[in-house]
Amino acid sequence: MSLFSKDRVLVPIDFSEASFQTVAETLEFVENASHLYVLHVLPYLNQGEPGVMWKTVTDESRKQNVEKAFRDRCCGPNYEGIHFTTVIGNPSEEIIDYATDQKINLIIIPSHGYTGIRRFMLGSVAERVVRFAHCPVLVVRQSTTNLPKTQRA
Amino acid sequence: MRRRAWLYLIIFLAVPTAAIAQERAAGKGFIASIDAVFSQFVAFIFQVLFFSIGGFPLIVLWLICAGIFFTIQMNFINIRAFRHAIDIVRGKYDDPNDEGEVSHFQALATALSATVGLGNIAGVAIAISVGGPGAVVWMTVGGLFGMTSKFVECTLGQKYRIIKPDGTIAGGPMYYLSAGLADMGQKTLGKILAIAFSIFTLGGAFGGANMFQANQSYGAVSTVLPFLPPWVYGLILLTLVGLVIVGGIQRIAQVAGTIVPAMCVLYVLCSLFVLLTNVTAIPGAIATILSGAFIPQAVGGGIIGVIVQGLRRSSFSNEAGIGSAAIAHSAAKTDEPVREGIVALLEPFIDTVVVCNMTALVIVITGAYNSPNYAEIRDRGAGAELTSAAFGSVMEWFPILLAIAVFLFAFSTMISWSYYGERSWEYLFGEGTIIVYKVLFLVATFIGSVSNPTSVIDFSDAMLLAMAFPNLLGAYFLSGQVLIDLKHYMRRLHSGEMTPV
Repeated sequence: MSLFSKDRVLVPIDFSEASFQTVAETLEFVENASHLYVLHVLPYLNQGEPGVMWKTVTDESRKQNVEKAFRDRCCGPNYEGIHFTTVIGNPSEEIIDYATDQKINLIIIPSHGYTGIRRFMLGSVAERVVRFAHCPVLVVRQSTTNLPKTQRA
Repeated sequence: MRRRAWLYLIIFLAVPTAAIAQERAAGKGFIASIDAVFSQFVAFIFQVLFFSIGGFPLIVLWLICAGIFFTIQMNFINIRAFRHAIDIVRGKYDDPNDEGEVSHFQALATALSATVGLGNIAGVAIAISVGGPGAVVWMTVGGLFGMTSKFVECTLGQKYRIIKPDGTIAGGPMYYLSAGLADMGQKTLGKILAIAFSIFTLGGAFGGANMFQANQSYGAVSTVLPFLPPWVYGLILLTLVGLVIVGGIQRIAQVAGTIVPAMCVLYVLCSLFVLLTNVTAIPGAIATILSGAFIPQAVGGGIIGVIVQGLRRSSFSNEAGIGSAAIAHSAAKTDEPVREGIVALLEPFIDTVVVCNMTALVIVITGAYNSPNYAEIRDRGAGAELTSAAFGSVMEWFPILLAIAVFLFAFSTMISWSYYGERSWEYLFGEGTIIVYKVLFLVATFIGSVSNPTSVIDFSDAMLLAMAFPNLLGAYFLSGQVLIDLKHYMRRLHSGEMTPV
């Protein structure tokens, strides 16, 4: 296993511009879309959420919507064959579990680079993934201020 | 996280249990000290919010002026669109392909389950205890103008909502304040208002929607089960709420959600029954209420005191101008923001004009508002107990039914508001730390159960009403847009461009 494997590479995304940029960069790196695994972790919903109370929003409907949103955002021949998965739970735990289950060789994760109170409150998903992942993790540090405001794929 | 949920729950339960063990050892020390610190904190917030202008607290003036201003600006949409509102709720304009989570009816029901509750049972009784029976007239006036405030805020909530990748909706004042004002070139102001709103919403979620509910529902339950100590009740409530919001048990929330509308209907039927058995006393009661509204007797502050009390309890009951309902209404499936706003204006009508007046008539007819037998309850400010006693004087078994109803109302309000608070927390701190919010929410439930009513009621009012400052300030700026949208909508409606299904 080389340090930077090009096979079974995981990019966890949160639908931010930064994460789509990481997906695009990783795609260039792995060269073949079928080696790329993209994961989105949804939070549990509050029981007071109108859609939950009336059972019009289900885990299934949420996953379908996310899948569609991803395919709409990342369309085109280059993106054909990407493995896209949505799970519901705690982001860092789910990313680590998924990486283990799928025998991922490299995780490439964008980090928001929050500072101050936001960092204190949020901690960092990337931090926890680095600490507990079984494979090498590449953190793409993305300062929120340097990011172009609109960036269409 | 689900794996750990039970662990968290055990920790929450362990903390107060340990504290109670200490309390047994040291008499009432623990609960008394919670109460003392809390009362001082409340006194401070109060001085700021209830700064008096000509006898009117700042916040009350702020709310009613907004209601009147919007009603005139929107050319009495609260009356004009009433019929159309009912048509929409009946599903005549539903389009399942529109984006959103729930139908118009479901969104209205969700928002109502957060508002119909103790405000209608305990709040009315408190208003009458303090302001005399005339306070109800001013509650109704507040409710009628509040319909337009509600229309404006819910239209804006829809207009500036965000649809997340999973199809769920994030909307409400924090979004229209930040995005709406940014569009007008007031980005910084919008951001400040949105943050202030979120902070007050958290306060409201901990106070009026949580501590007040826990506190007043204990009052009603303890009339039926007098041997139940407050801390045991607090623990039971904390466990149930914890199971839903931390444990993610859907069944409990859904059962509570479906029973609440039924309870609401049952409550109105019981009120009608009391009124019909005393049908001859109704004209007298109405006269008492009307004369109390304009020529109050033995009420602190005279007529202004009555108006203030009525308007204040009105806002607390229907939450018009507060901004909370806009969070729930933004989840409705529609591509016409104005349409959901029109649905929302029914809310203060049902809540305040119908249900509150029922309670008021019962309290007046049964004499609970002035009979010396109930003086002790009135002095303690225990609103739910007073209503319970008033109904109980006609139907002996009623306190049991009311205790169940109050418990369910309180519970469903707490669940709905835990969602409002969570959206605000998410806006401020992101999704990652929601568990911290949930812990604080449960702690507040327990404190509410053991604290004394006066300081709890004051704190609830203060935090909930404070939400109206940022919300309505932003709404004033944005109301021009709402008016343009409304005119456009009405033109298309009347030209027959929108065909009901």
